[in-house]
Amino acid sequence: MSTGHSIAAKEFLKNQTYSKWHDATFWAVRSKRDNMAYGLDEWEQLREKASAIKRHTITHLDEYLDQFATKAEENGCIVHWAKDANEFNEIVYGILKNHNVKKLVKSKSMLTEECEMNPYLEAHGIEVVETDLGERIIQLKGQKPSHIVMPAIHLNHDDVGELFEEKLGSEKGNHDPTYLTYVARLSLRNEFLTADAGMTGGNFGIAETGDIVVCTNEGNADMSTSCPKLHIAAIGLEKIIPNYDCLAVFQRMLCRAGTGQPTTTYTSHFRKARPTAHPMHIVLVDNGRSEWIGNPEHWEALKCIRCGSCMNTCPVYRRSGGYSYSYFIPGPIGINLGMLRDTQQHSGNVSACTLCLSCQTVCPVKVNLGDQIYQWRQQLDDFGTANPQKKLMCKGMSAIYGNSGIYNLGTALAHWANIIPSPIINCGLNPWAEGHKMMEFPKKPFHKLIKEIEK
Amino acid sequence: MSNKEDILKRYRANVREKYDMPDLSDIKAITYPDKLVQFIKMTESVGGHVIEVKEGQDINELVKEMYPDAKEIASNLPEVTIATRNPDNVGRARDLNGTDVGIIRGKFGVAENACVWIPQTMKEKAVCFISENLVILLPKSQIVNNMHEAYKRIEFDKEYDGYGTFISGPSKTADIAQVLVMGAQAARSATVLLLPE
Repeated sequence: MSTGHSIAAKEFLKNQTYSKWHDATFWAVRSKRDNMAYGLDEWEQLREKASAIKRHTITHLDEYLDQFATKAEENGCIVHWAKDANEFNEIVYGILKNHNVKKLVKSKSMLTEECEMNPYLEAHGIEVVETDLGERIIQLKGQKPSHIVMPAIHLNHDDVGELFEEKLGSEKGNHDPTYLTYVARLSLRNEFLTADAGMTGGNFGIAETGDIVVCTNEGNADMSTSCPKLHIAAIGLEKIIPNYDCLAVFQRMLCRAGTGQPTTTYTSHFRKARPTAHPMHIVLVDNGRSEWIGNPEHWEALKCIRCGSCMNTCPVYRRSGGYSYSYFIPGPIGINLGMLRDTQQHSGNVSACTLCLSCQTVCPVKVNLGDQIYQWRQQLDDFGTANPQKKLMCKGMSAIYGNSGIYNLGTALAHWANIIPSPIINCGLNPWAEGHKMMEFPKKPFHKLIKEIEK
Repeated sequence: MSNKEDILKRYRANVREKYDMPDLSDIKAITYPDKLVQFIKMTESVGGHVIEVKEGQDINELVKEMYPDAKEIASNLPEVTIATRNPDNVGRARDLNGTDVGIIRGKFGVAENACVWIPQTMKEKAVCFISENLVILLPKSQIVNNMHEAYKRIEFDKEYDGYGTFISGPSKTADIAQVLVMGAQAARSATVLLLPE
């Protein structure tokens, strides 16, 4: 009865020391978020406004995209439109080739992960260097992010220390995070100075001004665009918002919700290339979004601002880690985006939810994440991805619960199951006994008890 | 190659119910009895430093006292006479690498989160990030309460009208085992010099 997620989570849980650390670390981030939220009387009002702005914007996206692109072109930028991942990769490669780019430095972008841009560019002979420290670590390690905001959270300082000894020539045995960060700084500084182009994602695109707004703590998006002579910004269609008044709402929430900080260190507005550089390129990427907007139950997933707060709070994510999910974005938002992307491939994730709804309680833009996961579960049979064992059990349960005679007989006899020796009932053949002991059935079922009390 | 029209056509065919833009004028955003005190407190809490410059005090002397070992100081500000490099006339942006102290001007600060609005006012904005230590000159009367007020008043420079950023404290990361380290890829320290009127 195991799903892809639960099988992978079993691996994660083998290292109990680490899995406990993972759980506690994310709970600490969640607590920091709470401190920020409780520190503002207007927090819930902001969530309401943020949700309403996003609902409005993503249902008027054609107007705002047109306004954004027109403005950006007036500013002197070159705007490209990519219908899917393949087209996106081709466009980016085309721009780089035109400028004879050999090395590209880039800041963190989930969109380029989504489109698998790095392997595409590398296959075409371009060196791609991730410059967010977490992204750089996993790039050197040959891995994928396990969290959208803290991509290398699955590695501890010894893992990173050993990696840097091998790849960056750091001192043997010195695994102090401050030292390792400094080693990465020196190495990346050299990359910034020698790169031919810089790429950023974008947290927001502002329709009224044409600005691409990028929020980072490290300053790596700014470093990536300050020395190289070419800047390419890539954003998904849903990242466009109307104006600065709206941006103020999201800027205040993004980092408070995601990492529990009052702001990111840098909130940078890129409107056009600096005077000594080539014109800036902006690539607007659809890759499914124009279809997802038509999904009556799931279109609101497009409101997401990728803060990561839903995964930080999720009891399943905290105890199973990012690699237990089949989609490249884990946690509640990843479950939903994965299903929008491909139901056949990602149905194994929808069980990774207790329906506690903590995710939608903290989501700064009020995406109904848990409700949507519930909805996906109802459709598994239609997708042909329902588990046959569970289906059979549901049929059995309908038969029992649908007939009071059978039900009463069952509950009256259930306590006889208690005398079955534990090794038999708690063996691997009983999927319910996995991870916990079977319950003991009461001698008197509830029905009988209540009738006696009522007498 | 598909284009803008294909994508917008598909979107228009699929979008369902339309929602109105909410009224944002009724947001009851936080304000502070003393914005300057709050700004100083927040700057320190995000890892930055604040120094209140006294009437008549020379900024150049102050920076020399703060960074006695600094060899390369970069600035294009007329009041900075100790600069050894000028971001307006370096050959390439990368020539600013190795700057010990960069001195730039902020337009206003934000009390709720210590952001300082810094529009690009130099040819190479690299100076704002590549310097080991960043010094931001900010008139102390120019503090707003929150980001709603901030976004009502940000302006880009007339000459360098392509870029502006809010900076709050030094570059930082917690990407290695969630341990907070100051000085990731950009400035390792950030000091706001509050100027008298």
